[in-house]
Amino acid sequence: MSKAEQIIAGLGGADNIVELEPCITRLRTEVRDGSKVNEAALKAAGAHGVMKVGNNVQVVVGPEADTIANDIEDLM
Amino acid sequence: MDISISSPLTGTAIGLAQVPDPVFAGSMVGPGAAVDPERAPQVAVAPIAGRLVKLKPHAFVVQSEDGRGVLVHLGIDTVNLDGAGFELVAAEGDQLRAGQPIVTWNPADVQARGLSPVSPVIALDAETAAIEAIVAGAVAAGDELFHWR
Repeated sequence: MSKAEQIIAGLGGADNIVELEPCITRLRTEVRDGSKVNEAALKAAGAHGVMKVGNNVQVVVGPEADTIANDIEDLM
Repeated sequence: MDISISSPLTGTAIGLAQVPDPVFAGSMVGPGAAVDPERAPQVAVAPIAGRLVKLKPHAFVVQSEDGRGVLVHLGIDTVNLDGAGFELVAAEGDQLRAGQPIVTWNPADVQARGLSPVSPVIALDAETAAIEAIVAGAVAAGDELFHWR
């Protein structure tokens, strides 16, 4: 799986992602069901860290956040 | 090669751990320092010489010739301002001297909107041990902030 595919899977699948926006070093996302987010899978996909508050999840991916967000949008 | 990272802003140099954001405070994107900027209009300048590889209104990355990236993030959660109050004076892809102007902004306005203007300066993907001589206290834009071995 590509990094983008792994991140989608770690966020509980494309159907679980309500919104996804890149900041300079992180993907700011809103998900339907926060319990479907798999932090270990996101870290395995290369995330430096995951910040989760309810259904708002920030995946820290470093400065390639823009590129990864584009790849994810292409897949969704 | 040792590179010297200069402060992009005038204000007070503080430790990264004091930044009110867990991602930066936890050095998740790399070690570095932060500047609590003077609450007056000012211009953020290049912390190193290199290419401006990323430029957003509220944040930018300058990459040195040997591939090291320094991120400057102007305030916390400032992506939510959608660029309001930030004026770009450089363009993505520009080759910059250290100290060359990149963005004008007013930390007092950011604070008035309820956000912290504290600005992390990050050695992207560096080992913590590679960062030394981190300055604390009053700094002017262009003063040395830390060394990156």
